[in-house]
Parts: sequence; C-alpha cells; structure tokens
Amino acid sequence: MNKKTGTLSRRKFIAGAGAMSGILLTGCDTDIYTPPAIRSGLMGVSDVLTMASQRLLMSGQGLVKEFETSDITKDFPAWGGTNPEDENYQRLASTGFTDWSLSVGGLVNRPSSFSLLDLKRLPPRTQTTMHICEQGWSAIAQWTGVPLTTLLEAAGGVKQEARYVVIDTYDGWYDAYDMFDVVHPQTILAYGLNGKDVPQGNGAPIRLRVERHCGYRNLKFLKSVQVVASVEDIGLGKGGLLSDYNWHWYAGA
Amino acid sequence: MALKQSGNWIHRHNYNVRICHWINVICFTYLLLSGIMMFLQFPELYWGDVGFRGYEAIFKLSNWGLTWEEADALGNRQWGRNYHFLFAWVFLFNNLIYVGWNLRNRHFSKRMWPGRGELHKDNLKKELNQHLHLRASKGDAAKKYNVFQKLSYLIVIFVLFPFMVISGVAQMPAFTAISPELIDLFGGRQSARTLHTISTLLLVLFVVIHVFEVFVAGAFNHIRAMITGKYYLPEEEKI
Repeated sequence: MNKKTGTLSRRKFIAGAGAMSGILLTGCDTDIYTPPAIRSGLMGVSDVLTMASQRLLMSGQGLVKEFETSDITKDFPAWGGTNPEDENYQRLASTGFTDWSLSVGGLVNRPSSFSLLDLKRLPPRTQTTMHICEQGWSAIAQWTGVPLTTLLEAAGGVKQEARYVVIDTYDGWYDAYDMFDVVHPQTILAYGLNGKDVPQGNGAPIRLRVERHCGYRNLKFLKSVQVVASVEDIGLGKGGLLSDYNWHWYAGA
Repeated sequence: MALKQSGNWIHRHNYNVRICHWINVICFTYLLLSGIMMFLQFPELYWGDVGFRGYEAIFKLSNWGLTWEEADALGNRQWGRNYHFLFAWVFLFNNLIYVGWNLRNRHFSKRMWPGRGELHKDNLKKELNQHLHLRASKGDAAKKYNVFQKLSYLIVIFVLFPFMVISGVAQMPAFTAISPELIDLFGGRQSARTLHTISTLLLVLFVVIHVFEVFVAGAFNHIRAMITGKYYLPEEEKI
C-alpha cells in the first residue's frame, strides 16, 4: 500500500514536472536569440545582433541588481498612461478592484481566473530594482508580487507547444514575452509598490515587472494573461503594440 | 616608416585606414544625429542611479532657451533608437577591424606612437606654436603625423571610442543583470548617460578641430589622400 502511494505521488510529480518542461526546455532553444518577427533590412540584422548577444550574456538567467530599501526613490514617477478610460476599468477601480480578476488562458492545462486575493495568496516575491525608461529616466522602487511562473503553475502549467505569454491591459496595450523572460525569477506580477498597493498611476491593481527590459514593456493595468505558440494572429503579428508600430521588440536595449 | 615615394607623391594611407575612416564618418554622423534626436525627448542630465523629470538635474536644456515641449517636438526617439543601435554595431565592427588590422601591420607603433623626442616639452612648445600660427607642415615633416595628431588620434581611438561603447551599454536595462558592477563603475545609470553625452561633446570637438586642420593643411590634397591614398608633398619654402 505504502509502496503504491509512493509510486503514485512520484508519477504525479513527474507529470507535474512535465507540465513545466515546456517552459524549462525553451531555455536552451535557439529562438531565445531572435524576436518573434524580425524587421526587414539592416534594422533586423541590428535587432538580432543586439538580442542574441545580450541573451547569450544573460544565459545564466542571473538576477538584476537588487537595491537596499534605503535606496528607494521618493516619488517614483507615474509616467505614460495613468488612468485608463476603459469603462470596465473605471467600474473596477471604483470598488477598490475587489471585483477585478485576471484570466489566465490559452495553452495552460487549467485555464483559470484569479482575483486580487487569489494572487496575494500565492507565494510572493519582493524585489527592489531600478526601473529604466527607454526615454531616459530611471528610478528605484520595491515591488511585491507573484512570479509569473508561479501563476502559470497555479493554472496547471503550460503545454508543450507554448512559446509566448501575451498580456493585455485595460489601457489598450498588449505585449508578448518569450519563455526566456517568463521563467526569469524576477518576472513578477506586482500588486505592491514600496509596501503599499500599486497606485493607479503606476498600474493598479497589477503591473508586470520584466526587469531586464525598458519600462514600456513593464505593462500596467493588467487584464489578461494568455499563453500562445505564435503571435502571428495577435495585433499586427509583431509581438507587441510598440513593435506593431516599428519599434524593436527586444527592449533589453 | 619609409613611405613609398615617387617625386613629390607619397603613399600616405593604406586602404584599410581609408575605408574604415569613411565608414566612421558615416557612423559618426548617424550616431550623433540619432543621439540628438533621443536626447531632445529627454533633455536633462543627472548624476547617480536616479533621474527623472522633476528630480534634481545637473543640466536642463530648458535653461538654455528650449522648453521641454519644444525639444520634444524636435526629437524623434523611435528613429533615434533604431539608427543609434544600428550604427553602433557598424561602428563597433568597423573599429575592431581597423584596430586589429593596424595592430597587425604595426601601423600604430610605426606611425602613430609618439617618440620620446616628440613628447619633449621643447618640441611640444614648437609644434603647438606651429598649430597656433596655422602653419602646416611642409617637406619631410609633412610625411608624418605631428605629435598633436598622434596624441589626439590615439586618445580618440583607444580612449573615447571604447568609452562611448561602454558608457552606452551601461545605460541598457539588460546590463542591470549582465553586469551591474559596470553601471556602478560609472557611479550609476544616469551618470553613465551624462558621461556618454560629455564624451560625445569631446568627439564633436575633435571632429571640428580635425576638419579645421584639414583645411589649414590643404583640404583638396588631404581629402584626395584619404580617398586614393596618394598625397602630394608640399615643397619646403626656401627663404
């Protein structure tokens, strides 16, 4: 009997590990060196050179520098969109996001919906990091949230063919993240900024942190998370709203 | 180094130097232009890790007659980012090839490394005087680079160029993971941005003086030499 249970739990463990292997295996795949859609001409060559060289240097998935709490910048800027006009967003905001929920769907084994409370019950991560805006500014803040991998595991793990995680927001933005960024331990869905709830100007109720990218890919006002095999049919198919408008997709710089 | 000479014609620049020189001219033009286009949309400089609009700045373009909104309207950082990164790669490869090639054929040690006599203060004084009086070298002296040329070229190639690349990557978010020590070395991410800008101004100063000197020494002769390699030695003045 005991032996049987042992076998079962072991088999269960292997199945669970298999569910995550889709994520883990892509870590050694070659497509971590190229954007989902390569721009034409020399600009595409330059993009691939930048992305490939930086990804090579980051292949150990090292963490970005974490600062001391004493380094935290007073008055962290609220840059870009600070109040989505979306009706649903306004309604959810008016009740303190108690009715807000994040749908996690696509190529996950158990598509689910998570309320703010559900997210806060998952094991959190807190990190004090430097936010770098592509425009030029930078500031240090402490973010608390649930790692994206933890969330995907809570939705049953991702399927084998999963390649990108597409995130939609209430202010009309979307962006796709490849598994290299998804599995990074500091990629979190932050509900806390400097020990308090994320203020509206900084993306309430949830803001994504992808620390190795410029600020604009750290989406605010999250609406949904969708795991996909390809970004071809999403937006203009370039893997993000800004890349649809001819910005480089990889924003490590 | 004895340069090939027939009559008054000498072979002044090898083809690698000529090709790399003109590629650098194109790179520098685009890098400067695209850098300005980005800077205009965030026209302030700070020191340390932190800096944003409203934070204590060490330079504000708005104090120099251009408001934030006016500067923003003139800039274009999408174009700026695209071309800055593209030409940064061309610039990097071009100069690696240039340095590698000319280390191998000992161009630097033979023609650009100043000798002890040249660095003596009497000689420095003499050559500085010559520069200030805008007297170009003639005869044998025109066959080689003068000491200020040598020093400025070496500083540009081996100090300012690498500094531009390193202070450039130190501003990139990926380097907060790849090498936060590098960012700290500059005193923070905003310091790296400020030093990148100051280093740009030094390069612009170099280009201005460089072009000015070309005109002093004979623009046609020198530009022809940088294209064909052949340089016509000006006769020594006989008194």
